Amino acid sequence: MPNIKIFSGSSHPDLSQKIADRLGLELGKVVTKKFSNQETCVEIGESVRGEDVYIVQSGCGEINDNLMELLIMINACKIASASRVTAVIPCFPYARQDKKDKGFFDIPVDNLYAEPAVLKWIKENIPEWKNCIIVSPDAGGAKRVTSIADRLNVDFALIHKERKKANEVDRMVLVGDVTDRVAILVDDMADTCGTICHAADKLISAGATKVYAILTHGIFSGPAISRINNACFEAVVVTNTIPQEEKMKHCPKIQVIDISMILAEAIRRTHNGESVSYLFSHVPL
Amino acid sequence: GFCRILTVNFVMNVAKSGYRVFSANSSAACTELAKKITERLGVELGKSVVFQESNSETRVDVKESVRGQTIFIIQTIPRDVNTAIMELLVMAYALKTSCAKNIIGVIPYFPYSKQCKMRKRGSIVCKLLASMLAKAGLTHIITMDLHQKEIQGFFSFPVDNLRASPFLIQYIQEEIPDYRNAIIVAKSPAAAKRAQSYAERLRLGLAVIHGEAQCSESDMADGRHSPPCVRNTTGHTGLELPLMMAKEKPPITVVGDVGGRIAIIVDDIVDDVGDFVAAAEILKERGAYKIYIMATHGLLSADAPRLIEESAIDEVVVTNTVPHEVQKLQCPKIKTVDVSMILAEAIRRIHNGESMAYLFRNITVDD
Repeated sequence: MPNIKIFSGSSHPDLSQKIADRLGLELGKVVTKKFSNQETCVEIGESVRGEDVYIVQSGCGEINDNLMELLIMINACKIASASRVTAVIPCFPYARQDKKDKGFFDIPVDNLYAEPAVLKWIKENIPEWKNCIIVSPDAGGAKRVTSIADRLNVDFALIHKERKKANEVDRMVLVGDVTDRVAILVDDMADTCGTICHAADKLISAGATKVYAILTHGIFSGPAISRINNACFEAVVVTNTIPQEEKMKHCPKIQVIDISMILAEAIRRTHNGESVSYLFSHVPL
Repeated sequence: GFCRILTVNFVMNVAKSGYRVFSANSSAACTELAKKITERLGVELGKSVVFQESNSETRVDVKESVRGQTIFIIQTIPRDVNTAIMELLVMAYALKTSCAKNIIGVIPYFPYSKQCKMRKRGSIVCKLLASMLAKAGLTHIITMDLHQKEIQGFFSFPVDNLRASPFLIQYIQEEIPDYRNAIIVAKSPAAAKRAQSYAERLRLGLAVIHGEAQCSESDMADGRHSPPCVRNTTGHTGLELPLMMAKEKPPITVVGDVGGRIAIIVDDIVDDVGDFVAAAEILKERGAYKIYIMATHGLLSADAPRLIEESAIDEVVVTNTVPHEVQKLQCPKIKTVDVSMILAEAIRRIHNGESMAYLFRNITVDD
């Protein structure tokens, strides 16, 4: 493809390489480092004049460092006369402090969905999927869960927190019937995993035969890994928006869905001026 | 009509409320300076909580109303620069969206000030940072000894660039017994102007160190600079090499006579100390019997404490713009000068709308 360059920040080089491979491109040369005073330094190693530039940086790990690195890379490309600079941010940081809706940005935002890849994984990896039940660990995820349940033509359930009094622990209430079913918990993020581990316990005691958890972004900070190891999951499945190799060494229950093809296809379509909305319901091969 | 105008003026005067001072740093070492400043001002530090969540996202909660008030945010920059910047941005934005009237950043050491020029296909990070601070809601900045004064031009709002030199000069006069037998040294020609301004005020001689003794980062400028570089070393050795194609650099040499004198090297930042150590070596060789380093910002990165301890340097004197307690524990040669007084005074004057000229009365044009 003429006039396109893809650069990787240091947050997730593996995903960047996968994206570039799928597009049949080499990653652009860039040096990112820190001076001894910990200030970030970026030097683009090739000409980007007139190019359509994509910078892949995920909001994971040391978020503020990676964010600063991304901003500096974008700035460097603009000063070097790139014709357009697009940031590809698989896991968008600070998403719970602000909503990542289009209205909050002055520039175009394409919020892609992992849903098609999740549906594909369920059909290929859960034998009993036709009789499963999709569960949301909180009331806020109901829409997400019903969307998946409808496409699989299965039932859904949700767990909501009932707060009795100010200093009492929230009670988790299951709404829906999971008896003798394989339960699939679906959520967008797995951070400390307190909520989904409680939810799994709840589902087992309510009669579910197996519990899977499928989460788009596997942040897994703090006590998350040990909580998962001690909980009753069949598998905890995340996408590779965030690097998972290290965590998988400490937790055999974690499995990864590769979404590099969705991002690669989004880049290709954006570059060619094609519609990106096809990706909202289809997984590119 | 007449009565209405009077009423509006009266309301405005009554509404001119006090000011609040917040610290946006999450670590205790960094809030030391903020505490000193608020003690001098006789005010309480504003109630806020700043921390990193388990996934390392920064979180800021302002615990009191700031509506219509003038707010000063004191932010010191520790090792974790990018987090400190994020803390400041998040707090500024939180205050802006909570209807604070003015938000003044007190950033004694301004980060990324060494990345203020175009280098190959780099980014002028300092300009990026200035834009980000404005976007986040800052309306004014107080800082100290900006690495390049021209950085003030990157900002769309006022920048007060205070000077530490009066404090460092006072230290020289009060703590160095033999100071009248001293000579002020610039460790490279780039530092000569600042060294000269100290020498003038102390009525001492000047010496300049010139030439390359150590190998610097290979950071060849490739003509992308605007305007084109002149045949000079500019900025810090280690960041930019001269444009001259001939690789013959003169061996390190001292211009000026330091024999039998106390050498006082002055600079704005002590970060990597390699060139300071090399300078001390050559000064000792040329007969200086004591060597001091005086600088505003003591970053003292990497293994600076160990290198200083093992070197010919007798004392490194820096201000408390940058926290360096850890380095002091590792190296007793490091001494601190407290500049909270001038920062507190700047805050007081800005809030009262008084002139800042008094704070610059003993500053020469080259300082």
